[in-house]
This record gives sequence, structure tokens and C-alpha cells, in this order.
Amino acid sequence: MAGIVTPEIQPGSVQATEDQPKSGLEPGYLVICWNDPVNYMHYVTHVFQKVFGWARKKAEFHMLQVHEQGKSVLARESMEKAEHYVHQLQKYSLHATMERDE
Amino acid sequence: MKLLNATGTRLLFHLGRREARLLPQILQLYPRVPPAHHVLSRTGQVPNPQANQQLLDEALADQRSENRQQVLALLTDRQRFAPSETGGRLSLAPAEVEWLLQVLNDIRVGSWIRLGSPEGKLPELDDSTAPDFLSMEMAGYFQARLLDALHGEA
Repeated sequence: MAGIVTPEIQPGSVQATEDQPKSGLEPGYLVICWNDPVNYMHYVTHVFQKVFGWARKKAEFHMLQVHEQGKSVLARESMEKAEHYVHQLQKYSLHATMERDE
Repeated sequence: MKLLNATGTRLLFHLGRREARLLPQILQLYPRVPPAHHVLSRTGQVPNPQANQQLLDEALADQRSENRQQVLALLTDRQRFAPSETGGRLSLAPAEVEWLLQVLNDIRVGSWIRLGSPEGKLPELDDSTAPDFLSMEMAGYFQARLLDALHGEA
């Protein structure tokens, strides 16, 4: 089931997903998608739209970031939500992991 | 594979004769990605990394098992998949299209892994690599047709 990441951010401002205040009790976890040359670009765009509920333009921005830079930070979330998103992305066989936001 | 009709509840595709023969062959390959392929974290800097990795593995294993059953159900349900001498019809609910995309990409990625996960140039095609190359490309072909239908590019 698709989830929604808030707040909505615009292409070109990937850092905005990391702007949420850090809590000492609940450190943030980054949801990262890594490049896999086998995945079609429009497939990756579609998956980002479905999993995060993003508009096509934003999904394409992150897809291109994965393609050109090797990875894209898709969200900064609590551990449970980050795990959820990683699981959703891996169900589509995308190369996604969660990493602690130091 | 052409989209004939799309409503809010069903998408109806026509498959050519070869497509109707190939689709079941390709889907029978599922699952193709090795269970150990997916990792929760590259750095391992998450609480209880082993336990959480195990939870992820179990969730994905359940998913694979459920998907496998759905593949078999689809291929034997003549209301949804009806091959014939001249081609075939494939009728899917939007959620089934999403599920089929996941299955096809598993086959595509798994075949690519079996080819050695090439970054650029593919390995020489021979008797051992050609089946994986074919399954990778055919899974991608059906995947692309489904995406075209979903995004109005058919």
C-alpha cells in the first residue's frame, strides 16, 4: 500500500527531506535508493510515485539523481517508517536501504 | 501486447500469439532474485541489525510465496488470462498490474544477477547465458507494456 511522505518538496531541493527537526529520542533514518543499471528509468519513476505518493515530476527528479549520482536520499523518517519504505521499495526489487542520519 | 480497454476497475490487454506463449514461460521463472540480495542497511548502523534484517527477510519471503501463488492462480484463471491459437487476452485489476510489475522486475533483476550483474557491456551470449538474457529482456518487455498502459503511453 502506498504511503505518503510529508512535507512535499520540490525537485532541486532534495535536502528538504532532511529538514525535519532531529530528536535525541528518535534519530532520523535516511531511506536511500541506489543505482542498479538493470532497472528501467520509467519503472523507477513509477515505483517512487506509488510508494511515496509523489507527483511524477518529483519522482523523476529522484530517479535521475539515482541514475546520475548513484543514489538518492528519498526520505528521512523514524526507524519504523524507514523500514516500511525500504520494504516497499524492495518489493519492487529496487536497491534500497536505510541508513542512520548522523 | 496492446491495451484494449481501461476502466477504473479493469485493464484489458490483447496479446499476440508469441506474447501469449511467452508470458506464462517468463512468469514461471518467479522468484528469480536470491533471498540474500536485499539488505536493510549498508552500514549496519541500525538498532538490532541482525534481528531487523531477519524481519525484512521473512517479510520478503512471505511476499515471494504469496506472489508465487498469485502467478499460478493468474495463469490458470481463464477469466483473467485466456491464451488461444491466435493470441490471448489478459484482464487485470489495477492492483494486479502493480503486483505483476513487481513479479516481472524480480525476474528481470534476478536474471541480470545470474548474468553477473553487468554494469555496462553484457557478457558473451552462449548456451549458458542466453536463457538469462532472454528472460531479462522479455520480463522488461512486458513490464514496459504495463507501464505504458498505466501512464497513457499505449
